[in-house]
Amino acid sequence: MYTICGKSASMLPGNDDYPNLGIIRGQARGPLVEALRQRISQLEGVRRPKSDSPLSTGCDPLDQLLPGRGLHRGTLVEWLASGDGSGAESLALVAAREACREGGPLVVFDRARQFYPPEAVRMGIELDRLIVVQAASQADNLWALDQALRCPGVAAALAWPEKLDSRTFRRLQLAAEQGRGLGLLIRPEGVRQEPSWADVRLWVRPLPAGEPGVGRRLSVQLLRSRQGGGGSVEVEFVDEARVVHLAPPLARPADPRRAAGA
Amino acid sequence: MCIWLPHWPAQRTPAARPGLDQRRALEELAAWCRQFSPLVGVEDSATPESLFLDVTGLEHLFGNEGSLGQTVLDALQRRGLSARLAIADTLGAAWAAAHFELPSPLAAENPKELPSPLAGEGPGVRGLVIVPPGQSQNALRFLPIEALRLPRDVLQRLHSVGIQRIGQLDPLPRSDLALRFGPVLVDRWDQAAGQRAEPIPALPPVRVFRVRQGLEYPTARREIVESILQRLVGRLSEMLLGSGRGAVRLDCRLECQACVRAEHVPDECLQESGGHSPPYEAAEFSVGLFRPSASPEHLLGLLRMRLERLRLAGPVTAVSVEAAATAPLERRQEELLDLDGGGPRRWSRRLLAGLVDRLASRLGRGAVLRPRLLAEAQPELAYRYDPLLSPSSPTPLPRRERGVLIESVSRKAGQVGKRLAAAWDWPPRPLRLLGEPVPVLVVWLVPDGPPLHFSFRGREHRIEQAWGPERIETGWWRGPMVARDYYRVETAAGQRFWLFRRLADGRWFLHGSFE
Repeated sequence: MYTICGKSASMLPGNDDYPNLGIIRGQARGPLVEALRQRISQLEGVRRPKSDSPLSTGCDPLDQLLPGRGLHRGTLVEWLASGDGSGAESLALVAAREACREGGPLVVFDRARQFYPPEAVRMGIELDRLIVVQAASQADNLWALDQALRCPGVAAALAWPEKLDSRTFRRLQLAAEQGRGLGLLIRPEGVRQEPSWADVRLWVRPLPAGEPGVGRRLSVQLLRSRQGGGGSVEVEFVDEARVVHLAPPLARPADPRRAAGA
Repeated sequence: MCIWLPHWPAQRTPAARPGLDQRRALEELAAWCRQFSPLVGVEDSATPESLFLDVTGLEHLFGNEGSLGQTVLDALQRRGLSARLAIADTLGAAWAAAHFELPSPLAAENPKELPSPLAGEGPGVRGLVIVPPGQSQNALRFLPIEALRLPRDVLQRLHSVGIQRIGQLDPLPRSDLALRFGPVLVDRWDQAAGQRAEPIPALPPVRVFRVRQGLEYPTARREIVESILQRLVGRLSEMLLGSGRGAVRLDCRLECQACVRAEHVPDECLQESGGHSPPYEAAEFSVGLFRPSASPEHLLGLLRMRLERLRLAGPVTAVSVEAAATAPLERRQEELLDLDGGGPRRWSRRLLAGLVDRLASRLGRGAVLRPRLLAEAQPELAYRYDPLLSPSSPTPLPRRERGVLIESVSRKAGQVGKRLAAAWDWPPRPLRLLGEPVPVLVVWLVPDGPPLHFSFRGREHRIEQAWGPERIETGWWRGPMVARDYYRVETAAGQRFWLFRRLADGRWFLHGSFE
């Protein structure tokens, strides 16, 4: 059954519209699922202004992966990072950079006090559009995030919510809908199975760079989207994205294998 | 313009602010009237009942004189005051027109009966009289002689010679008038007719924005404290609006009874102990604002947020709010000229300022920050956070910290940051930088070569690729020199970390991760 984050099948159109709902297990599966999907996106689309063009994630293959060909304002996006140094944050920041193009700041909720602004600036975030909030407690952090999402002046909010119960999550989603900014939540991959109120849930895993000289490669899997869709895509950071410079300017890269005498 | 508030002592509700004399109360109202005119004064009399407003050249802001008057009248009505307004060429004429019914039409020759003073009709009199330009002298002729604001003895002498109406003075020789009734008669007449200037006894502009309310019966109930706060903030915002300023910092003070001492210790003992144990304890807090504001809802919201978290030492005996720092209010026009360019969010700057105020009010000023890049080689010092709310009690940065490299002008900070970012082609930095580098166990083969393996948070990481070293040697002027060889490493799983070897002792540290 096609279930979307808390919306049970009972919210789908009744049997009058779809008398053959039972066939879903049978042969006519493809077209019916497609029809249902369209109906759902219509239902969902009520809250979304028609003229609202999607926001690019700043990364073409990722845009192609997303069912709406991009992210939508007024929604939450979850980035599940697999472990430290996975690259999820970089992707989220690139998306935030795109969201900030139309004006409005990026608000970063850095409770761990580990966010490093110089690198964010290098990735193309404008310094005077960057606000960093360092809350003392988790409750304060979530409250502040809610406030920022609710504010129409904010283009994007980036946060690392530690624990997110369903109610808080829903509140954040409603806040984002009200403020029409983009809420970027970076979460550990352990929450994959938890219910989500986010519009899109993406799972970012690093891929080992095969040979030296290739940019950083990440695999992004679309775990869940309100508009359906799925699949995964491999992206690579290149120089033009101002994400990672490949050539180390100060020193020649030392090949560990050669250095090790292997 | 003259605003006459008939029976002022009866009109103002003395219960609201006991202990404030009539004149002070009227001056407060005058300060409130500053929102209509920059020049407001109180009538110079023993029992003042009138306010004077200079409205020259203001009528176009409200449409015309009629709508200006109506605006003022409605605003007074909302305050529960009934008033009679008159707009005329001169102060004297306006006063006269406010206090006496003008004959209509003005041109009528010799109306039979004398207009009676309206003061006898009780405090309910209200209305708006506009004497057209140039008609003041004509209008005055028909008014009783009392309309000239003359001292009582002069009036009596005039009455005794049968002069009832101002027009009757006209044929009399002026020098005789001055001799018989004193110069005040001629002065007032000339002033009312516009032949001599009469300044408005203007109030000095308000400098201190402080409101306070004491409670006869101390209360510990928060709803009551909140409603008092609401009233105080309303009054404060009127004061602020009247002088065209907005609060940048609000200081709120709740005086609480220290319950134990106040109940059981007789007064003498309290006085004896003097400064050691004051009979009350005060809870004080201040709220900073990102952008000056005089909106009562906004100010109250900020105060309320702090009040929620305040622990009161005992029942509250008095509440006071002061706008400790103020700045001129920005006018609406400036908000339209948005610096961000005309996007769909051009109206949102004010909302953003509100957000920053709310966040800083609850989380503290030091929690809402604006990063600034510094030209420092040591990675953890390459930026600095500044509070978004500029400190309203100026605590200047130490000169050394102000930085020779970066202008402290906030406007320029962004540009400088951009320039720094562009000019410095530093190797990639991690997005997550640990505040303190974490010592890690690293396996390496070549003495000064890259790491091969390290463990962090209980996990073993085999390093597949390493870029480096990037040597950073700096900071000798701050103490022990910082000398590190940084490596960007990629593990077998593709995770990227930033490690360095401390050159002093060869120990390895993890400094960040490329998230």
